[in-house]
Amino acid sequence: MKILIAEDTADLNRAITAVLKHEGYDVTSALDGQEAMDYIESDSFDCMVLDIMMPKKSGLEVLTELRSRHILTPVLLLTAKVEIDDRVAGLDAGADDYLTKPFAMKELLARLRALIRRREGYSEDTLSFADFILNAKESELTAGNTVRLSIKEFELMQFLIRNSDKELATEYLLESVWRNEPDAHADTVWLYISYLRGKLSSVGSCAVINGEKGGAYKLAEG
Amino acid sequence: MSEMSIYGDHVPAMEQIKDELLKRINELRVRLTQKYGSDPVDHCLARIKSDESMREKCRRNGLPETTENALTFFRDAIGLRIVCSFLSDVYTIRNYLVRFNDLELVEEKDYIKKAKDNGYRSLHLIVKTEQGYYVEIQLRTISMDTWAALEHQMKYKKDKMASEELIVSELKRCADELASTDVSMQTIRDMIFTEEGASVL
Repeated sequence: MKILIAEDTADLNRAITAVLKHEGYDVTSALDGQEAMDYIESDSFDCMVLDIMMPKKSGLEVLTELRSRHILTPVLLLTAKVEIDDRVAGLDAGADDYLTKPFAMKELLARLRALIRRREGYSEDTLSFADFILNAKESELTAGNTVRLSIKEFELMQFLIRNSDKELATEYLLESVWRNEPDAHADTVWLYISYLRGKLSSVGSCAVINGEKGGAYKLAEG
Repeated sequence: MSEMSIYGDHVPAMEQIKDELLKRINELRVRLTQKYGSDPVDHCLARIKSDESMREKCRRNGLPETTENALTFFRDAIGLRIVCSFLSDVYTIRNYLVRFNDLELVEEKDYIKKAKDNGYRSLHLIVKTEQGYYVEIQLRTISMDTWAALEHQMKYKKDKMASEELIVSELKRCADELASTDVSMQTIRDMIFTEEGASVL
């Protein structure tokens, strides 16, 4: 498990590095934002700890650059107590968590474990509903049979499973599953609902998607 | 002198049944094309299993190479394969076939609803003619047919391939992708016809 730590206070940097190494992590440490950026360009990490106030490039700048390049590695920001605006800006810029200095090493370790766990959870998610399984890694829908879903079908099915306790309006599905896709409209949702209905039936699942064209939909046990 | 056929003197009768069935499928295609505006069948093949293949099948199953085994123990001496464009066409044709009065449906295996572990999908019917001959009818879509052809090539390749395991798992993946696409195409087609119907009203 590779962790990048960027902290300009040499003593704190050394202390964090030593503790993480002791925990068995493979640690790379940088003393300013530019050095961190250099490491990020030449290597990949499972998690990053970035101090906000650093010379050359701030933690926020590093974070913004990361996310603009679609690097989705979990990031924990280290902030001073007075920097409320920075914490907000950090979270808005795509940080996953933050910790206020001074902090207990125990808490830093627990937060890192949580971040890494969450990331693994996302990448290997297997969801199930009624008698079928949705496998994220293979994008497969399985009951009696297996079929492969397209990316959009998969995302819609995942959303239907995670929200199977409520009725999901067409508009809401457009905003959630098709956000940033201005060409998508109510007919798109209806077509994909129809695809998934066909595919549930073709794998022999008893689950159904209730709802009419243009209305609200809900995944249910048939 | 050449050895007698495993089918004995039944070959002419079998040929006649094969040709008759093919003729009736073609008549059905003409009728359905007039009714629905498009031919639900892409193509149709019929064959009598070759003497050597049937003998080999007997040997493989530890059975004596007799006419009785060839005609009644195995039920695929006469075979018909009907390849359709869309999923629903497969079941449309199936429903017409089982209504033929002189054919008795003996067995039906739906490997589309429940695919084989390797990904094979088709609808298999075993029917019995009035003369007592069995016919195996395989119904499938074009994509299922393409897949089966490739799988067949792999299975009957003589020398073992180093990458066989990879190929088997990739074929399974393709089968599941094709099945998904068949359902998508059917969904789009249904939508086109629903909208056509709606605009007529």
